[in-house]
Amino acid sequence: MSQIWKYVRVTPSGGRVRGVPARSSTTSISLPGTPDHLSSQSTLILRFVMSIMEHNGGSVVAMAGKNCVAIACDLRLGAGAQTIATNFEKIFPVTDRMYLGLAGLASDVVTLREKFRYLTNMFLIKESRPLEPSTFAHLVSSTLYERRFGPYFCEPVLAGLERTPSGSYKPYIVGTDLIGCLNFAKDFIVTGTASDKLFGVAEGLWEPDLEPEDLFETISQTLMNAVDRDAYSGWGAVVHVITPDKVITRTLKGRMD
Amino acid sequence: MPNMSAIVHPQQRHFNPYAENGGTILAIAGADFTVIAGDTRQSEGYSIQTRYAPKVFRLTDRAVLAVNGFAADGNMFVKKVKQRLEWYKHAHAKDMPLRAIARLIQTMLYAQRFFPYYVYNILGGIEEDGSGAVYSFDPVGSYEREACRAAGAAQSLVQPFLDNQIYFKNQTAAPGRSHPSHLPLPDVLSIVVDSFTSATERHIEVGDGLEIYIVLAKGRSLQGVEGLHGLRELSTQEDGERVFVLQRDLKKD
Repeated sequence: MSQIWKYVRVTPSGGRVRGVPARSSTTSISLPGTPDHLSSQSTLILRFVMSIMEHNGGSVVAMAGKNCVAIACDLRLGAGAQTIATNFEKIFPVTDRMYLGLAGLASDVVTLREKFRYLTNMFLIKESRPLEPSTFAHLVSSTLYERRFGPYFCEPVLAGLERTPSGSYKPYIVGTDLIGCLNFAKDFIVTGTASDKLFGVAEGLWEPDLEPEDLFETISQTLMNAVDRDAYSGWGAVVHVITPDKVITRTLKGRMD
Repeated sequence: MPNMSAIVHPQQRHFNPYAENGGTILAIAGADFTVIAGDTRQSEGYSIQTRYAPKVFRLTDRAVLAVNGFAADGNMFVKKVKQRLEWYKHAHAKDMPLRAIARLIQTMLYAQRFFPYYVYNILGGIEEDGSGAVYSFDPVGSYEREACRAAGAAQSLVQPFLDNQIYFKNQTAAPGRSHPSHLPLPDVLSIVVDSFTSATERHIEVGDGLEIYIVLAKGRSLQGVEGLHGLRELSTQEDGERVFVLQRDLKKD
């Protein structure tokens, strides 16, 4: 997500009008077709307008390995540049072999976490069969698309192991945008305020068929080095490595600034 | 009632003298060499203007300048720096030292403080003490000597990767050992190529071709450059610092 600068018009009374076309100075400009009380001596000022997706900060990354997947997030919760909390986990368990990461607006992170907890429980009660990642991915997608014109400001990442007909497990990672467009990747998924940095580092470090411990090192290095170049993410990290017989969860300390 | 059609409203005209032409540049300093690289794609918006527009230029036998941002400004700026270096050579009968070129670039950029060259500069080369050096600049001349720097469209993709691979950030050395402060040339070259293939994969404004300049300190052996495919020497003499250029293909999609 790119940062957004907008020209905001400030009137003498202090009220301001948004969405005025970009202009090159901060001097008084009167515009055609505007009421006199606005055009006279109103001033265009360049202001930083934060997008909703970046307001709370935070990043999530997921990677596929050999017979395992990993998912990791940072721990910062902010309000713009101000840090509010440094223990805000953005990854939640869905089943024993599936974790969901939610980066974006913190209130929607909590709302969606509870919504998906409810929907997962309803699925298990009604269907009385295990919830597989590929099923849950489409549940996530349709839940988000339901709010197509007033979306939750979250970009989920799902990491899990999918049970095959033969009874073995196969790595499954998927990401979506905020209206539920699914992105099936066989390597890695990134989201959050450090997504561009995560793309760069992950593209450089990731390789196919990593064993759980190597995958842990790769995803940890990817996340740490990416969030260290992002002011809105950081303050430590949580990493989950999911294997067929166990989930390894580690909390990492980073630069903590 | 006055005739409303006779009222002429003021009209604002707008001309934007700048463009953003994409691409990425990168430089890494070694103990006795420096590598300066840039991709060769030049774009405006979603259009590719050309697949071969160099962004890295040899200034002297020990200085190479990479420019990124608004291509027209970049080309003009390189032209003017080269002109100043030629004047210096005529006045002093020697090439300008690297740190002096860095200060010259600062004053030239700051001279345009209120109508800047819309260009991020990275200067690489060999210092008078024989060490490899990288200087990075902002568009108005603020500068710093560093061990490595990426700039341009894919800076945000490449710089954290370099933090990890060059500065060993977030890595702990084995007990009783420490990280090297400078990497050998073959390692640096493979990090540069990996950085650009990664950036090409995930950024639409990066790709087509890669030009890697290698500056070797005076008296350094050719170890690490020998046998490189398609290596071209650009230096004017063999007993001073030497400059080489290496060209590689990047994906064109």
